[in-house]
Amino acid sequence: MVRAGAVGAHLPASGLDIFGDLKKMNKRQLYYQVLNFAMIVSSALMIWKGLIVLTGSESPIVVVLSMEPAFHRGDLLFLTNFREDPIRAGEIVVFKVEGRDIPIVHRVIKVHEKDNGDIKFLTKGDNNEVDDRGLYKEGQNWLEKKDVVGRARGFLPYVGMVTIIMNDYPKFKYALLAVMGAYVLLKRES
Amino acid sequence: MAAAAVQGGRSGGSGGCSGAGGASNCGTGSGRSGLLDKRQALTILPRLDSSSWAQAVLPPQPPKYLGWQWKIDDKPVKIDKWDGSAVKNSLDDSAKKVLLEKYKYVENFGLIDGRLTICTISCFFAIVALIWDYMHPFPESKPVLALCVISYFVMMGILTIYTSYKEKSIFLVAHRKDPTGMDPDDIWQLSSSLKRFDDKYTLKLTFISGRTKQQREAEFTKSIAKFFDHSGTLVMDAYEPEISRLHDSLAIERKIK
Repeated sequence: MVRAGAVGAHLPASGLDIFGDLKKMNKRQLYYQVLNFAMIVSSALMIWKGLIVLTGSESPIVVVLSMEPAFHRGDLLFLTNFREDPIRAGEIVVFKVEGRDIPIVHRVIKVHEKDNGDIKFLTKGDNNEVDDRGLYKEGQNWLEKKDVVGRARGFLPYVGMVTIIMNDYPKFKYALLAVMGAYVLLKRES
Repeated sequence: MAAAAVQGGRSGGSGGCSGAGGASNCGTGSGRSGLLDKRQALTILPRLDSSSWAQAVLPPQPPKYLGWQWKIDDKPVKIDKWDGSAVKNSLDDSAKKVLLEKYKYVENFGLIDGRLTICTISCFFAIVALIWDYMHPFPESKPVLALCVISYFVMMGILTIYTSYKEKSIFLVAHRKDPTGMDPDDIWQLSSSLKRFDDKYTLKLTFISGRTKQQREAEFTKSIAKFFDHSGTLVMDAYEPEISRLHDSLAIERKIK
């Protein structure tokens, strides 16, 4: 006969005692739990800021919403924004229109360049019938270098779907972050 | 699971053979009865084997009073026995308690404070970067950001070196004040290890003499099944003597020298 109860389910011995670890800690250990959480958040933040400094772009990784057939919804794009790089027709740039938050990933189709390096360019999405003049600000017909967030250097397919899901269902994002945060704060590491 | 099968097998075996030696379902013939008797005995005798909880012997027990009294409000420590890190933490905490309460040593928080300081400084750099970038949006904040990011990762490197080489697995540094007040303190250090999914717990006690600066160590490696009972309660009556023995073995050498 097998006594399944003795070794079966891997449950905490005293039911749902999530604060059990915390109750047994002294002040230093509690401070270390908080610090641990803060360090995980800080590491993620520092890696992001580090990428910003390295690439020169204010948002070095973006998720593509539409640019068929080159990119599909949910692809992750890596951008750089070095001032010396020239912008040429045919390249894919990510730009922000003044007054709008969402960066747009489209292709450059026309470029006007002055001798001193000032540039005016026009963009169009590969999947669109017309150029982007309808998207620009009222009265604006050309984009300038200051509107550019970065130029596409590489991409990862499908990985960005997680970000899209978390943006479409913000409650899911907060729930996930809350659970992960609680786990780090409440569990004692040895 | 294998553990359940062993336990079931053992109880089935002992139930079947408890009637009488020589019952037909316990032996197949006189020629082999000696081997079977030994096997019966082995299945009935509790045996501490390194492979499974099912063979641990200790039933739940209340704490007895030893030479040194437990504090009145001391509750027995109860944890999930399958959680390796909880087991190690509770064993470490109890070893700490024995050294601090029975032998009345004073804990020195230097190592821990060092680690906390390094972590706090790293978080400080991160916060500075965050606030600066918020107040001066990106291109202007580049030099400050670069400085903070590099400092943060340098601090992380320092922290890794500190925990690997200076702190190692030491979880207690305790001082024994010299009763005459003339010599510097003797230092006792406790460190332990318990590998993932393993049941062998190693506890190492290091003694550094204040006067001669000599270092001596003693350690033991035992299965955690010796110290915990079925319900996951740490049985101090089994654990405390081990620690005292380690301590006394180092203390006695000191007296001889």
